[in-house]
Amino acid sequence: MLTEAKCSPGPGAGCIWPVWEIHPPHPGKAANRQRSTQAAAVMDRFRMLFQNLQSSSESVMNGICLLLAAVTVKMYSSFDFNCPCLARYNALYGLGLLLTPPLALFLCGLLVNRQSVVMVEEWRRPAGHRKKDLGIIRYMCSSVLQRALAAPMVWILLALLDGKCFVCAFSNSVDPEKFLDFANMTPSQVQLFLAKVPCKEDEMVKDSPARKAVSRYLRCLSQAIGWSITLLLIVVAFLARCLRPCFDQTVFLQRRYWSNYVDLEQKLFDETCCEHARDFAHRCVLHFFASMQSELRALGLHRGGIPESQELPEPPEDLDGGSGKAHLRAISSREQVDHLLSTWYSSKPPLDLAASPKLWRPGLNHRASIAAPGTKLCHQVDV
Amino acid sequence: MDKFRMIFQFLQSNQESFMNGICGIMALASAQIYSAFDFNCPCLPGYNVAYSMGILLTPPLVLFLLGLVMNNNISMLAEEWKRPAGRRAKDPAVLRYMFCSMAQRALIAPVVWVAVTLLDGKCFLCAFCTAVPVATLGNGSLVPGLPAAELARLLARVPCPEIYDGNWLLAREVAVRYLRCISQALGWSFVLLTTLLAFVVRSVRPCFTQAAFLKSKYWSHYIDIERKLFDETCTEHAKAFAKVCIQQFFEAMNHDLELGHTHGVLATAAATPVEADRTEEEREKLRGITDQGTMNKLLTSWHKCKPPLRLGQEAPLMGNGWAGIEPRPPRKEVATYFSKV
Repeated sequence: MLTEAKCSPGPGAGCIWPVWEIHPPHPGKAANRQRSTQAAAVMDRFRMLFQNLQSSSESVMNGICLLLAAVTVKMYSSFDFNCPCLARYNALYGLGLLLTPPLALFLCGLLVNRQSVVMVEEWRRPAGHRKKDLGIIRYMCSSVLQRALAAPMVWILLALLDGKCFVCAFSNSVDPEKFLDFANMTPSQVQLFLAKVPCKEDEMVKDSPARKAVSRYLRCLSQAIGWSITLLLIVVAFLARCLRPCFDQTVFLQRRYWSNYVDLEQKLFDETCCEHARDFAHRCVLHFFASMQSELRALGLHRGGIPESQELPEPPEDLDGGSGKAHLRAISSREQVDHLLSTWYSSKPPLDLAASPKLWRPGLNHRASIAAPGTKLCHQVDV
Repeated sequence: MDKFRMIFQFLQSNQESFMNGICGIMALASAQIYSAFDFNCPCLPGYNVAYSMGILLTPPLVLFLLGLVMNNNISMLAEEWKRPAGRRAKDPAVLRYMFCSMAQRALIAPVVWVAVTLLDGKCFLCAFCTAVPVATLGNGSLVPGLPAAELARLLARVPCPEIYDGNWLLAREVAVRYLRCISQALGWSFVLLTTLLAFVVRSVRPCFTQAAFLKSKYWSHYIDIERKLFDETCTEHAKAFAKVCIQQFFEAMNHDLELGHTHGVLATAAATPVEADRTEEEREKLRGITDQGTMNKLLTSWHKCKPPLRLGQEAPLMGNGWAGIEPRPPRKEVATYFSKV
């Protein structure tokens, strides 16, 4: 049985997955204990899996990339291709289907990747105490783009190797002189015929050897183009991987380290803010109860009093049981939190832990506008 | 779940065993791609050979390069090849071993593709249908009367049953059977040859330079593991750096707010013993590297001047590489000596 003995975010798990500490309610209840240990084991496994997945963001991104590619394959195979077989619409439909889903998948790939947001934030933030390195932003951009391009390429290659899109789009552009069967037809008849080539069941072209020849020719071309593009991509990827260490390896190592750092820092900051929000909420609620209690007591003094035994315990000073989060508890009003968050954006601390904080302490000019906790912000003190 | 994780960890522990897994998957994928691929012979005289040879040779090339690209060792090989020697000599035997091992694994999927293609027979049929000996298999007497172009056009349609119109010259079934037969014979010979070659290489190799081979294998594994551990240590360091940075940020905020208040109603940021311990733990993980410049210098010197493969000597990182003929006096003694002076 789960009891809310304590609720604190587990290490590294962020605030999405709070760790409920499980205590058996009574020592004597063996069945409950067994169930609770089983539940604990299951939760523990899920938590470990989740942590493993989140531990390295590169492997998470690779996993997402592969997942998106698998989804693309599934989407393509379940999509019901339906060529209109009309002169002007064929090219539109065929090319539209060849290019629009890849665009959507590319945008999906960018959306799903957390690092694209981190990159844009790093690009747009004011320099503050930490200068910006465009090389890191470029590294993150190329890494994000490479992963986002995987699923669109899978779609395009599948479409080309399958051939239906190509046949539909280019059936009207075929040169009729390549095929002897068109010698007896007028040009307009030929165009009509060619437009119907993608539709096997149409009355006009059913069982026609000319249709089969044209279709076969176009599919052949489509597959050849598909394989050529695949080969080209692979050769480019291979050369990029092989030749990269020949250029600027040290700069690459530095950029990789710092882009990983930026990502980790953002994640840790979010986690710290989550912890703080939880702490803040907890104290807020306890203060509310305590103030309600003192109000009632004040009323009770006029009406006959509340027995002393019903007094609520004072909110304990050391809420987290000694886990030591004094630096979080100091920020304790809405204005202070807003100020902290806006300072984090506008003026990130420098990448030098040994430097004296006096040199870069944020917001020395804005102190006056921050109110003390518990009081209303009723006036502003001019600096 | 545990077993799955153990298997996964085992496969990932060593790049070689991981690549073995990837190889197997790619070989299966290669067979699957072939069966899913819709072979589409153009049945036109000039295009048949080009199409078939393309299908026989391009996907194996793609699979080979893919096998190399997916192997992390390729960039490791390139790095090891291009790095400055620094304090660690480069061993060409290790590089050769790495390259051979990568190439061997990457060759498996292409071999599977070629074998499956030949055993299936469609590719071979499409490529060589115009070269069928009509005189022996069909109506040889009608051949001289036909112009070569017409013969080629007729025979090119053999792979396409729905448009073949040369039954009067040569029964389609006969030609198909003949060509498939040859294709399968070639396919099985190819499989036998590659298996024999692999077997010979594997069994005969210990007869030559086994000691050198063991050394190369060891050092190639070492380089792989060292690189992985370096990346992991860098990630740990980055995490600790970020934690301390954020904590300092919050503390600075807190300090700032304290100075701005006359009431002093805030909980003071006096570090509890637990908090001090935590901070110390994180700082220890930083191993003394606490700013951007030092970290960049560390990364530069990791590439430019890798440490020598000799443990147990505290040679300074930026120093001139004291070779260490005599044991160096421990630092404590040096310090007390100077302090006496």
